[in-house]
Parts: sequence; C-alpha cells; structure tokens
Amino acid sequence: MTLAAGRWPAAVPPAGAAPQRSGTLVVYRMELAKLSRQIRVRTIAVCAVIGPFLVVAGFHVQNATPGDTAFGQWVHTSGFAIPMVILGFAAQWIIPGLTALVAGDIFSAEDHFGTWKTVLTRSRSRSQFFTGKFLAAVSYGLALAVILIVTDLLAGLLAGTQPVVALGGQLVPAGHAATLEVLSYASEIPPLLAFTAVGIMLSVLTRSSVAGIGGVIALTFVLQVVTLIDLPGWLQVALPSTPFLAWHGFWEQPAFCTAFWWGLVTSAAWFVVCGGVSWWVFRRRTIGVAA
Amino acid sequence: MFACRTPGLPTVSGVTEPALAVEARGMTKWYGETTALDAVDLLVRPGIIHGVLGPNGAGKTTLLAALFGLVTPEEGTLRLFGRSRAESGAGWLDGVGGFVETPRFYPYLTGRQNLSVLAGLDGGDAAGLVDGAIELVGLDAAASRKRVRGYSLGMRQRLGLAAAVLRRPRLLILDEPANGMDPAGIRDLRTALRQLARGGRTIILSSHDMGQVEEICDSVTVLHRGRVVFTGGLDVMRGDAPDGTWRLFTSDDEAALTEAGAADEVKAARRDEGGLTVHAAQDKLDAYVLALGRQGIAVRGLEPDVTALESLFFQLTRDAEAPAPEETP
Repeated sequence: MTLAAGRWPAAVPPAGAAPQRSGTLVVYRMELAKLSRQIRVRTIAVCAVIGPFLVVAGFHVQNATPGDTAFGQWVHTSGFAIPMVILGFAAQWIIPGLTALVAGDIFSAEDHFGTWKTVLTRSRSRSQFFTGKFLAAVSYGLALAVILIVTDLLAGLLAGTQPVVALGGQLVPAGHAATLEVLSYASEIPPLLAFTAVGIMLSVLTRSSVAGIGGVIALTFVLQVVTLIDLPGWLQVALPSTPFLAWHGFWEQPAFCTAFWWGLVTSAAWFVVCGGVSWWVFRRRTIGVAA
Repeated sequence: MFACRTPGLPTVSGVTEPALAVEARGMTKWYGETTALDAVDLLVRPGIIHGVLGPNGAGKTTLLAALFGLVTPEEGTLRLFGRSRAESGAGWLDGVGGFVETPRFYPYLTGRQNLSVLAGLDGGDAAGLVDGAIELVGLDAAASRKRVRGYSLGMRQRLGLAAAVLRRPRLLILDEPANGMDPAGIRDLRTALRQLARGGRTIILSSHDMGQVEEICDSVTVLHRGRVVFTGGLDVMRGDAPDGTWRLFTSDDEAALTEAGAADEVKAARRDEGGLTVHAAQDKLDAYVLALGRQGIAVRGLEPDVTALESLFFQLTRDAEAPAPEETP
C-alpha cells in the first residue's frame, strides 16, 4: 500500500463533473444491481421460467388429474387449464414466499452485513434509501409476476389451445380464455405487492432476514388455516390472502369483479399501512454501533 | 481540571467563527439507561488531524457515528463545514468520507463491485475513481477476483479507505484506521494522513493508541464515559501531563538505584525482567543520567515505558468519576 497523498483525487470535484441524478433513482439502480447479482434471485428467475414447462411435462406423462383444484380436471383437454391450475397453487403458497425472499431481506440484509454504516455515509438520505429499496422490492415482485404470466401462458399454449370449461360450466373459446388468464394473473399483482409491503415491514422492524422471510411464509400458512374457519365476511375480505382468489369471479357465469375490487382495496390498505410503518420506523432508527 | 481549548479557535463570543470543519455542540446520546455522549463539544478546524481518544465504551464510536448521521443525538447541534443536516439535506455529507468501526461491505461482491456500488451512490465522477482508489490502497490483486467475504481485516480496512477516497473527502473520519494493518501499511497510512492534512484536508481519527496519536495528531479530544475530559492541542496536553515513566538499563543497576535515591525528585525501582523503572520529569531525568555518568555508571538503554501523554490519558480516564468538562470556547 502506498497511499501517497499526492495520488488522492482532489477534494473538490472538477468543473464539469456529471450532474447528480435523483438520489432515489440512484439507490433504486444500486439495489437492482445488487439483486441481479444474488444467486437466490437468479435461481428464482430460472425456476419461474422453466417451472411451468416442467409442470406441463409432468401432466403430459401421467393420466391422473388434480381434480380437487379449480380447472384441474381439464388439464388434459385444454392447455388453458394448466396455467390456471398453476395459478391456483402458486397464489396460495409460491407467490408470497417468492416475494418474501426479496422483500423480507432487502432492509435486514444491510443489518446482517453491517453495511448501513457504509451506505449511509454517502450523500444519500434515509428517505432516498427507503424509497429506492422499496421500489426495488416492488419491481422484483412485478417482474416475477410478468415472468409467471408469460411463461405459464406459453407453457399452457404448448399443451394445446382448445376451449376450456370455466368455473361456471360454460365453454370459453381460446381467444377469450387467453384474455381471462392474463386478467387472472394480473389480479395477483395487488396482493403480491401487499405481501411485499408486509415482508419489508418485517425486515425493517426485526432487522432479521430470517424473521422477514420466515414471517411472511408463516403468515401465509396461518392465513391458509384461517380460511378454513367460517370467518365473518368483513374479516375474510380484510385478509391479505383473500385477493389472491379474486380471479375466480372472472371465470364464473356470469362473470363478476366485486371480489377483485374489494381485493384491490384490501391490498392497497395492507400496502399503505405496512409501508407507512416501515417508513416511520426506518427514518427514526439508530444504526447499530457500539457505544 | 485540564485545559479545554482547541488551538486556533477564536474565543470571543458573538463573533462569527471561521468555517469549522466540524462544529458539534452539546451532543447528548442515550442508549436506554446508558449515556453514550454527555453534552459533548467537538470543534475541529480545517486542515488538521484531530484525535478522538478514550477507553472502550468511552463514546468514541458513537461520536463518530453521530458525525455521519448514523445516530441522532437527543440533544445538541452539529455542523460540517458550516452546514447542518436540516439545511443541506442529503448533500450534508458531500466531501465527507471515512468509516465507523470496521468497514463493512457486501460479502457476495468483490471489492471492485462493492466500490462500484458505492461510486454509483456517490454519483458524479466517482465511478471513474474506482481503479485509482484500488491501486492507491494496494488491493489491485484481490479487488477483482476475490469476494469480500474472503478478505482479511487489513484488506477490509484498505477497502474502507478506498471507499473514502471515492468521496473526494475534505473531511476524513476514520475509526481505528490502522486496525489489522501490517507495520508498513500503518507507516504509509500515517505518512499519507500527515500529507493530506498539510494539503488542507481535515482528518478526525479515533484511537486508543496514544503513541499513534502523539505521532500524527495536532489536537485531541479525550472521552471518558461519554464526557469530554480533555480537548486541546497536544502541546497543551503535554503541559498538563504528569511525569513520564522510563525503562533504564545500566552497567550497574544496583549503583544506579542508589544514585536515584540521592537524586532530586527521581523515583526508581528494579524491574523483574532486568533494568530499572524510573519515574521523573524530563529535566530531573536528564540530571540523573548525567549524574550516573559522573559516577562511572554506563547508560546502556533508556526508553519510555509510559509516556507523559499516556500517563495523562490514564489519569484522565482512570477516575471513577471524571471531572466535569470545562466550557469549550
């Protein structure tokens, strides 16, 4: 190490230095760059891409059908049934968990690695860090949703484009079925973002990735159990997992969107409350240093 | 009571002070029942090296963390180069670099990738400084091929310095920067810090190594249990310091011990490992050594055991109840 002072860059930035970009955008880009280098995120992306095709292959080599799930009995007669079977399972278990892997870790990882005291010594405010990280987690969730929409539909199309029997018993032609499937997958985005906010809140509050990720997964499990109980209607609507089932209304005869709109309100409420709590706590917290 | 004067600072109230690199006044921070900082003042002029000293738990790291805004004091005000956080927003830390405690990085990234991430946060031309910073701290070989999780403590310290370089700092805040460094690295670091200060940059470093502080700092603040027990220039500190302790090796320790008994204000005792421990003020020590020569006793070695500043430091931080700090100008 030479460290010769003469080789240090001048203390004052030279004239014409690049103008500063928005701090939030800078943090957002930094988070995306870090996420893209994480093995876990790459693994999730690969699984999301190839998983649906593996499911199609699995159905293809067996005669049995998952008859106890929505669209399950039609997986051998229409390729449009397969994405809906995947959606029915993923919405309950996979999507919250995959969301939590990033959202439940994105703040607490900095605590785990002790890097808050590195990044917060740069000229970026806590608000910018919070917003940038929050947006990065949301972007990850949206990207995950888009990948699932595209790959699930493509995998289904490979299996066939025959009309599919909907939940109301009506036969839905291919073109309309594709539209309904896209809408169904899109309806998962609001609750996905709500679970993202829950994961972020746990990550901020506990400063632990285990609690952040595990907490969301545990919540998902609890909510699945709770739905087996005959809850009051208002409480059922208030659960963050209920909007994951809103797509059922699109496939009924006649179709209805009430569940979707209520799901939108519920998801927005969870998103705002959890995000707000996270913001309030993060802005005021002390970065851990020994006295 | 000890002097509490930062050299060069105007002491006339009501007059606008020259721009201070750091102007912290009345900083108080509690962690539950523990008072980490108790009305701490820290005034540092530009272009000097200021040491923050204290035993473990004295509040050094909390003070440095507060300078970076990592902890928010319950009371007090803080300005860096005349700017407060409320006035300047995110740009408050422009021109400020360094680290608190051991520098920490993303372990799954290489050193270069970590610096690129931080350069992205810094914006401007920081990305263009990454290569130079890596070369400057001597991490060329490892920065691109080794993830940080495999770095030694010394390598992390160097990477922390590189991360600070990206900030083009006018103010460097370094918490025990020599930790884990090899002797050559420590020597280079001291030299560089002195040169940087001569070039007008301000450096604040914490340490519990009094020797290191004596060698490179212009002024110091000593903390004990969250309170300032001394702040001022090293010359002032030396003036307040008690007598030092020396290790003396002679051709005839027994005769030297007898001579010490006859000398004015010199205390000597045998050391288990050989030689004598001598406690005396500098002028009395000089007279004693001359007397030994006149008696035909050869002085084979004379070296400081505990320097005067170390003695003062121990005195300041030993007391169960530290004296209340005097008002800082």
